[in-house]
Amino acid sequence: MHERSLVQTLLNQVQQIVADDGGGVVKEIQVQVGDLSGVEPLLFESAFTELAREWFPQECRLVLDIVPVKAECRLCGQCFEVQDNEFLCPACGTGPVEVIQGDQVKLMSITVDSENSVSGAKS
Amino acid sequence: MNTRVLSVRRDIQAEQKADAAAERERLGRRGTLVINLLSSPGSGKTSLLEATARHWAGRRSMAVLVGDLETDRDAQRLAPLVPVAQLTTGGACHLELPLVQRGLQALGDPAVDFLFIENVGNLVCPASHDLAEHLRVVLISTTEGDDKPGKYPKMFRTSQAMVVTKQDLLPHVPFSIEAVTEDALKIQPELNVLTTCAIDNSGIQEWCEFLEQQYQEKIESVYEPAGNQ
Ligand SMILES: [Zn+2]
Repeated sequence: MHERSLVQTLLNQVQQIVADDGGGVVKEIQVQVGDLSGVEPLLFESAFTELAREWFPQECRLVLDIVPVKAECRLCGQCFEVQDNEFLCPACGTGPVEVIQGDQVKLMSITVDSENSVSGAKS
Repeated sequence: MNTRVLSVRRDIQAEQKADAAAERERLGRRGTLVINLLSSPGSGKTSLLEATARHWAGRRSMAVLVGDLETDRDAQRLAPLVPVAQLTTGGACHLELPLVQRGLQALGDPAVDFLFIENVGNLVCPASHDLAEHLRVVLISTTEGDDKPGKYPKMFRTSQAMVVTKQDLLPHVPFSIEAVTEDALKIQPELNVLTTCAIDNSGIQEWCEFLEQQYQEKIESVYEPAGNQ
């Protein structure tokens, strides 16, 4: 169950980014999870629920966006969605393919509430 | 009250991946090929390493970092043969780079030709963590069934070699090397497939030759283009 360690990594980054941006209350975190990221979304969500309670005093929502795996053929350049774990180029059938989407966990955005409007917080 | 949305769009493991890349570069530059060995529990990682150490005795240097949930039994088996350090995860299902670096320090950071990381027995979590390896090898034993690649695609997708172990048991188990190879190649068409048996030593020479060839490709020809030809 490495989802817990990934959520810890995520929350560390969220805190850092929000602090660098002038602080505030984190209301929502949007995360993209690929089908080939090795992450089980349900385990990720439950680890988040558990850890977010320790990290954020207020309610913070996790929005998980599950994305399919996409690859690009290094030989002919064809982009395609990987179905049934078949990493073969549908166009030329021979080229080695590179995964271009779906093998990562990505922090997409953070929604923050603050008392005052942030002005001059960024250099 | 002011609400703002911070756009990030970043791989949450980007920092760990960069750390691993730097460590990989450091180890490669000084002549060490790092091999991350992954498999289910009991698939024969330690036996393969024992056979490898015997094969290379006196010719190639190697060291092993053994990842284990609680015990040091595997490390004890290897200790008479090669330098070995135990990485106890305290129940965690995978290794991460800082633990590997601590293990290297415990060994005195030896400049061996081959550094093996015997990962925790698990085909899911370890797939998501870069341990600075130059080569990721997934083991699959003939006793555990030939349907593993489709169940654990990330593991097979991110590996460069698959070693089928316990070849001697093939007559007694429902396992097809052809089927497992076909499934694995759909996921990773560039996968190298090897078959071994650590008891009668079959395939061990081929395995060691494969590693020596990887050493040549990933270390010698990358870091010493002018020398040692
Ligand atoms: Zn193609």
